[in-house]
Parts: sequence; structure tokens; C-alpha cells
Amino acid sequence: MTILEATNPVDTAETAAKDTIKMKEADLNEAATESDHKTVGDCFVENPKFSVRDANVYYGDKQAVFDVSLDIGENEVIAMIGPSGCGKSTFLRCLNRMNDTIDICRVEGKIELDGMDIYDSRLDVVPLRARVGMVFQKPNPFPKSIYDNVAYGPKIHGLVSRRVDLDEIVETSLRRAGLWDEVKDRLNQPGTGLSGGQQQRLCIARTIAVSPEVILMDEPCSALDPIATARIEELIAELSENFTICIVTHSMQQAARVSKRTAYFHMGKLMEVNETQKVFTNPDHELTEAYITGRFG
Amino acid sequence: MDSLHLDQHISQQYNADLEKLRTALLEMGGLVEDQLADATRAIETADGELAEKVLKTEKKVDKFEIDIDKECTTILARRQPAASDLRLVLMVTKAIRDLERMGDEAAKIAKMALALNDDGESPRGYVELRHLAAQVGKLVNVALDAFARFDVYAAIKVVRDDKDIDIEYRSSLRELITYMMEDPRSIKRVMNIMWALRSLERIGDHARNIAEHVIYLVHGMDVRHISPSEIEKQLEKQR
Amino acid sequence: MNKISTTEQVQRSLKKRYRAEKRFRMYGVTSIVIGLLALLLLFTEIISKGVGAFKQHYVSLEINFDADDLGLDADLFTFFDAVREDYGNKLHSELKIADQHATMAEALSEFEAQAQRDFGMTVIDALQAREQQLADANFTGIIRNSLRERFPSVKSRRDRRALYSLVSVGASFDLRDRVNADASLIGTTQKLWLLADDDLDTYVKSLNDSEPFIGRLKENQVEFISSWLEKNEIDARFNTIFFTSGDSSEPEQAGILGAVMGTFFTLLVTLILSFPVGVAAAIYLEEYATKNKFTDFIEVNINNLAAVPSVIFGLLGLAIFLNFFGMTRSVPLVGGMVLTLMTLPTIIISSRAAITSVPPSIREAALGMGASRMQTILHHVLPLAMPGMLTGAIIGMARALGETAPLLMIGMVAFIAEVPSSWNDAATVLPVQIYLWADSPERAFVERTSAAIMVLLAFLIMMNGLAIYLRKRLERRW
Repeated sequence: MTILEATNPVDTAETAAKDTIKMKEADLNEAATESDHKTVGDCFVENPKFSVRDANVYYGDKQAVFDVSLDIGENEVIAMIGPSGCGKSTFLRCLNRMNDTIDICRVEGKIELDGMDIYDSRLDVVPLRARVGMVFQKPNPFPKSIYDNVAYGPKIHGLVSRRVDLDEIVETSLRRAGLWDEVKDRLNQPGTGLSGGQQQRLCIARTIAVSPEVILMDEPCSALDPIATARIEELIAELSENFTICIVTHSMQQAARVSKRTAYFHMGKLMEVNETQKVFTNPDHELTEAYITGRFG
Repeated sequence: MDSLHLDQHISQQYNADLEKLRTALLEMGGLVEDQLADATRAIETADGELAEKVLKTEKKVDKFEIDIDKECTTILARRQPAASDLRLVLMVTKAIRDLERMGDEAAKIAKMALALNDDGESPRGYVELRHLAAQVGKLVNVALDAFARFDVYAAIKVVRDDKDIDIEYRSSLRELITYMMEDPRSIKRVMNIMWALRSLERIGDHARNIAEHVIYLVHGMDVRHISPSEIEKQLEKQR
Repeated sequence: MNKISTTEQVQRSLKKRYRAEKRFRMYGVTSIVIGLLALLLLFTEIISKGVGAFKQHYVSLEINFDADDLGLDADLFTFFDAVREDYGNKLHSELKIADQHATMAEALSEFEAQAQRDFGMTVIDALQAREQQLADANFTGIIRNSLRERFPSVKSRRDRRALYSLVSVGASFDLRDRVNADASLIGTTQKLWLLADDDLDTYVKSLNDSEPFIGRLKENQVEFISSWLEKNEIDARFNTIFFTSGDSSEPEQAGILGAVMGTFFTLLVTLILSFPVGVAAAIYLEEYATKNKFTDFIEVNINNLAAVPSVIFGLLGLAIFLNFFGMTRSVPLVGGMVLTLMTLPTIIISSRAAITSVPPSIREAALGMGASRMQTILHHVLPLAMPGMLTGAIIGMARALGETAPLLMIGMVAFIAEVPSSWNDAATVLPVQIYLWADSPERAFVERTSAAIMVLLAFLIMMNGLAIYLRKRLERRW
């Protein structure tokens, strides 16, 4: 029995503490809904890959993202964290116009990729999505063979004409995704037969097969076990040499591990963007602090 | 309520763990404060029993250090604290080291008290000792208070006051050296006082360290090896 | 103390729960048993009634193919057989086409001399003369001769007519076909099995019953039959006529081939029209159409149409296809179009369900790769939805297969003896044929009705089996 284990204050203080938490949460939410909020930290970088200015996203009458301005640098890993429904996924999906598939979704503001407005009415989303690939929360390989999964992108974009070239793309993509050694003997077997982590790496291989410049990842590890998660994180670190990666995650440790910068979203607003090290040791915004220390969520 | 909202986690157990850490640190600080007061009084009053008590308390302080360290490890492993929680845990691990060192220094003073009892009373230095001990005791108290209330201004005051203690210590030192040169026979006895003075000065330094940890805890700013005015300037900038 | 009583209470309630559980399961089992019994009853009823239709009785008679009685020129027929051997069996049918006479004449020039020498006419004329003789030949006469010889004691006109009526009218056509096929029969006497009349057939089949069905048979006819039976001159054979000929007013000559072919063409039209239209509509509604009042309206209407009584589709077809567009009455094309209207909602609804059941993650993956909408649908959504769509289509077709009411409205209820050979020939379909036969007074039609029902059920089972097979086969191959 150590001196420290003398009392168990949980029982006694519980109800009172809960009340204070509720009050506190109300305060924080009030702070968040104030209309003239300003993002703290460093939103802007030199020579950004993506440059977002005053982005607002609406689902019908409901606004999901409020006045987000953010730069994403070349070959940078930026993590987006925040409580559920804070608009981080919605924001991510704006970056390759995946929100177009939702009828009632409307995007305002300016989002530029290398200085090109991606919401220009003349812009075709097909080449945009070839440049900005996406990996989803649930591993979603096509119900085709492993080979066909990876070859699909190059095929539909007409990147190759000869079978040999296609074989090469498939191999390099799988190699870069760290999956080649595991699947090289069974390329003709269904992609859905792989384990969850392998499936997700297959999805990443499929995405990088079309040589995108940016890879968006929407909670890529939420359905995976820690080992598979570690593999993906390792992969992200390797890929960050050649790709700009935006990752939405619910795991703060993951954000802390993989990203260079971290953006904190709260109720549709971008509260803080800072160097990851700064966010996780000494965040500027009290809401960020409250979120990453588990004071509400 | 404290400015770090330590009691507002979703997990009540987490709140309790952090609170336990804080009170344990303060408790340990209280022990060290007592040790310091007792040790100086033991020298002044040549009280051997009091000196023995200080040495005994030293064991308790060591146990505190180990227990709190373990608790910090547990929190790090189980909760993966971030931001202020992380800073609190880090700060506590450092602060207990300082407190433990302070305890050691107090024990040294107590040993000097015993030595003085054996060697006989020192002809000089008691006034300086009392004066410095009062200052250092206050410094430690303010440092612990700054931690208890996460009070940055109290902490800056500690950093600043530690400078005065250093000056005080050096002037006392010069005075005693001058005396020893005049009366070489008393060197052995005066040296005991000098060692006690030196321990007091070291305790002041550790109090300063704790104060610096408090500033790091509250503002996430590393203020080691920076002058107090510079610290104030940086705090101003952060605001 | 408290704990023990809780356990006891649970134990007590547990028994009650088990009983309730058992009862609940029994309800289900009982329902299934009732359903199975009903099905069994239906099947035994239909099969016991209909199995007789697969047998048909024949009467053995000595037939004398006397050339004079038949009014045939034997030489002409022998000559024709020689020509046919040389020229192939096409001759007979091609002869009918006047335009081809010139080319025919050329082809048959080597027989020209022989024709001139033997018959004093051109070969074409000779062949046509033969055709005419065959058509005019009195085969009924030789059958009657044979019957009179078999029962010499029968003298009076009435008795003779009673005797004659025991052999089917269709027997003379059978004899004509034989002579047409082989000229050497002429002038010979053959012992042949001739198709018996339905009254005889029904009577003989019922002999084993406690009370034989006499029906329209007169006393003397029963005697004739007994005489034949004694000498084993009546035999039951497999009823090929039932499967190879169209409808007839004579039960022994009536078959379902006409109805089967009519059904085939009707369903073909239905499938060709309804599947692509239904799938295209479903894809548009699911993948492209924005959700608004208008699409909601369309959706409600499609769901309503699926529940509209089918006779109303028949009236619609009558009003639009027949009266407004003036299309032909009673043909599978129009029948198929009407059934298309009826099947479309079913196919659209099931196809939409199949499309919705494709996981959205697949769609997202494809779109995220930069595939266009169309590529996403063609490469990913359709292959995954196809089993569901096919199943829906086949179930819709199975429903169309069993449909009568709408077809009554557009005249596919007519008596059609000829087997349709295209979707623009007058035809009827199986369920309508069943309805017609069930309405006929002759006893022999009763078993034919049941037999037709068996054929219809076989088709339904085949189609449903096909649906299951396709679903199993195409369902996510991994």
C-alpha cells in the first residue's frame, strides 16, 4: 500500500464533478459558436500545394464547415483531428470534390491546388481525382483480383498501353505500399480475401498507382488492429517523401505520430493549426487543449 | 479552481489520478519544508534530537519520490497524457527530483548540526545562517505555493528572489572566510556553518528549478537559464 | 438470502420461458406443415388427374390402301418418290410456290422426258396433279371400309355411324401422311394402329375404376370396344400429339405446342422490352436522379403500378396498342408489350433494390480513383447488382408466365389450332390454354387441363431454378 492509493475520490466527487464538466462543456461550445472566431496558429505556408480560403460547406440548410482558411504544403503530412461531426471529414472531401456525389452538398470559398481553382465550373473532376487520390475509412477493395484492383486506375485513365507497363506499375505500386512480398504469388486472387490491414494497403497501392500528388486519408486505420495500424503509419512516413498527405484521424496518438502539422476542427470551425509537437505539448487554443487531453469530446 | 482544469476530464479516474499526483507532490514538499526548518533550528539550538528527526524524515521523502515516480510512469503508460496533462506529469517527475535533492541538503544541514555538537559551537555565522534559512524557507514555501495554485507570478518571484539568496550567500561566505583567516583555529567549526549555508543555497536553487517547472507547466515555455525579466518579456509576448 | 431467491425466481421463470419458446417454434412448424400439405394436395390432385393425358389409346385396323377407293394414281406417286429421292425433301414445300416453277422445271429437266412419256404432261404439272390427288383422296373411306370388315354384322346406318365415330377424325390425316411419305403403300393392305376417339380413350382409361366412365358412348359402341379389347386390338401409347400439335376441338388431337410457342414468343418480347427498360430506369433513378418531389412522385407511381390488377394493363393494351396504334389482335408481340407494362414495375423495384444493396464504399472507391459516373456504374455497380436484377427479372417473368387476364383483353384467348412460328402470328399462351380447356365440355379435356397445368408448373419451376442458379453463379464470385 503506497501513500498514493490512500483514497478513492471518484465516488464522492463524481456527481459534483460531472456537473462542472457539463457546465464547462457548455462554456466551450459557446466559445466555439461565437461568430467572429479566428483560427490560431500558423495557417499559411510558403508555396502551398493546397490553398484554402474561407471555405464554407453546407448540407442543405445546415452549415458543416465555417470559413476555413488553410494552406497545405508540398510533401507535408497534415493531420486533422476533432470530435465527431466537427467537419474534418467534410473538409477533407472538399479537397478532391468527393462531396459532389452528395446532392445537397454545396461548397463556397476558394480551394486552389497549385494555384488552380478546383471548384471552377469548367474543371473536370476526373483529372482532379487522379491528382488527388483518396483512401477511405473502411478498406474497400473492388471485388476483383489484387492485380485488377491496382491496375484499375491506370486503365481508366489510359496511363499505359502495353501490358508490360501495366505489370510494372502494379508491381511498383504494391512495393511502395509494402504489400508486394505478401501478395506477389497470388495477384489473381480476390482483393477482398486479404486481411483488413492488407486490404487497406491494397487500397493505398491502388491510389498511388495513378501517381497522384496528394493523398487524402479519411480515418484509414480506424478499422485496423494496432499492428496493421503501425504498418500503415510506417507507410505514411515513407510516402510523405513523394506525396502530400492529408489524414483525418480520431486517434490523437496517430496524429501525433505521423503528421508534421496538426489542424484542430471544432463544430465546423478550424480552431488551431500548428506544428504537431506544439499542438500536443502546448496547444494555443483552449478547445484544442480540452480535446487532446480528453476533457470533452 | 485551477487554471489547468485538471478535474475536467471525461474520465473521473484520470481526474483522480492527476489530483493524487498533485497532492502527493505538495505533501512531499511539506515534508521537505519541515526538514529544512527543523535542520536549521537544530543548528541554532544545537538540538541533536531534532537533527536525528530530520535524518529520519529523509527516508520518508525518498519513499515519496519513488511512489510518485511510479505513479507518473503509470499515468504515462495508461493515459498517454497530452498538452497540460503531459506537462504536469513531466513537471512532477522533475520536481520530485528537486524536492528529493532539497531533502538531501536538509539532511546535510542536520549532519552539520550533529558535527557542531561534537566539535563545539561555531564562534560566528549563526546570524547569517538564520537570515539565509528564513529567506530560503520562504522561497521554498512560495515555490510550492506557486505549484499548488499554478501561479506563474509567484513562480517568477521565486526565480528573482533566488538571485538575492545567491548574493546573500556570497556575502556571508566572504565574511566567514575573512573571520577564518583571522582565527585559523575556528576553521573546522566555521566550516560546518559554511557547509550548512551552502546547502541552504543549493535548496534555493532547487526551489528556483521547481518554480521554472511551474512556468513550464502553466505556459508550456522552457525558461531554464533565462533571466527573470526575460521570462516576463516572453510571457508578455505570449499573451 | 436475497441472491438465492433471485436464482430461484429465475429458475421458475425459466421453465415458463422454455415452454413459451417451444410453443413459439411450434407455431412456425405448424404453418409450414399446413403449407406443405396444401402444396401436396394440389400436386397430387393435378398429377392424378393429369397423368392420364400422357397416354393415348390406338385401335388396330387392317387398312387396305386400294388405289381406286382412294382415287390415286399409283404410278404418279411412285414417280414422285423417285423425283424426291433425287431432289430432296424440299421439293414438296417448294412446289407450292408458283414463282419458283421456272427454276424447279429447270432442276427437274432430267425427269421431263419420263413425265411426258408416262403421264403426257410436264413434270411440274405431274407433281401438282399428285398433290391434288392426295388432297382429294378419301382416306376416311378406307378406314370405314376397314371398320365394316372388322364388324361385318353391323348393318344399319345408325350403328355404322356409331362404329365410325370410335376412330378419331385425325386418323385419316395420319394415313394421308403415310401415303405421302411412301408411295409403295398404295395397293397394299396394312395392319395399322389408328388414333382412337376421345370417348373410347376416356372409357378404356376408366375401365379399372370402380365405375367406368361411359359418357356419350352408346351400348353398341361399348360392345365394339369390348370386342377390340378381347383381341388386344386396343393399345395405349405415349401421347406425342399432346406435345407436338396445337389446339383442336377434338381432345385426342389437341396439344399444347401452340400455347408453349405462344408463351415463348410472348415472354421473349416481354424480356427484350422490359429488362433493358427496367434496368435503365432503375439505374437512372438510383444513380442520377436528384431527390425531389418529381422523383418521389415517380417512385410512388412505380410502387402503385406494381400493385395494379393485371386486367387493367390488358384494358390499357386494348386501348393503346390495338385501338390507337391498330396493331394485330391476338399476337405475342402485343401480348408481350402488355405484359411488359405489367412486369416493368417489378423489375424496376427489384433492380433498384439490387443497386441500393451495392455497398456505397465500392462506389466511393471508384469515384475516388477518378472513374466517371458511367465507369463506376458499368465497372462496379452493375456487376454487383446483376444477380439481384436477374432474379427480379426472372421472378417478374414468372409472374408474366402465369398471367391470363391482360391477354384475354387483347384477344389472345382465341381458338388457334396452328402452332405460331413468329411473334406476329396469332397465338395463345399456356394459362389461357388451360382456361380454354377447363371450359370445354369433353371429359378428355379435363385430364389435358391438368397436364397443361403440370407443363406450366414445370416451366415455373425451371424459371425459378434458373433464377436461383444465376444468383448463385453471379453473386460476388469471391
